[in-house]
Amino acid sequence: MTESRLTDRLEVAAHTRNLALVREFLHNAIKRSALPPSDANKVVLAVDEAVANTMQHGYEGKEPGTVEVIVDADSERFTVRIRDSGHSFDTAAGSVEKVTMDLQKHVAAGNKRGLGLFIMRRVMDEVSYRSREGERNELTLTKYIKRPG
Amino acid sequence: MREFEINLEQLSPDVTMIHVAGWLDAHTFEYMEQTINNLFDEGKVRLAVDLSNVEYISSAGAGVFIGTLSSSHERGGDIVLLNPTEPVKEVFDMLGLSQVFKFATTPKEALAQLKK
Repeated sequence: MTESRLTDRLEVAAHTRNLALVREFLHNAIKRSALPPSDANKVVLAVDEAVANTMQHGYEGKEPGTVEVIVDADSERFTVRIRDSGHSFDTAAGSVEKVTMDLQKHVAAGNKRGLGLFIMRRVMDEVSYRSREGERNELTLTKYIKRPG
Repeated sequence: MREFEINLEQLSPDVTMIHVAGWLDAHTFEYMEQTINNLFDEGKVRLAVDLSNVEYISSAGAGVFIGTLSSSHERGGDIVLLNPTEPVKEVFDMLGLSQVFKFATTPKEALAQLKK
């Protein structure tokens, strides 16, 4: 079972009260996947950060919309796609500087910004973003189970 | 499972203990932030936060403590965190917060830390 391909999808209203549902959905998907249990909490956290960002800011000033969370996993990777129709925001951009910033200095100064992005990049092996006219925005987060090569 | 719950306890005349339970995420962090701001408004700036029943924390939740630390210092107070659970510790370690905050395992120890 764990060696076969797993796909699953959840669509919820873009409201932070649904974050718990998203986390439960992910935990259930991870249990059915080949992702090691030791990575489960970290991957759920990274996806929660991404979905929370979309829920909090994606639809600001727009009609309330939805967020789709799509899991696609096999024996080599656990991938989560997060789709929305809100504002385009390239979560993947600028991430290198966020990862290499002096985090301790950053938080000691009382600075809370950028922590979610830091977590996403720290936990996941690939983070990419796609926004095209007429299509939903899509953030893809991938965690390797077996490293390529 | 409790989604989120906060209870306050007066640990000593000038130290307030905040017992937090459940999920401290992007949905619930504002309740936590509001509770702490209310305490600051009342002049209660020495805080011990019991994290032993927090099942989940995200950066929004951790951010509350980052903001609280500097705000309490500005007001001549301080904050000590008690018994974070494994998932909370994991996030604090990832964000480098374990080196920034004071930790205690008992209310007595928290009181001693807050007197320093």
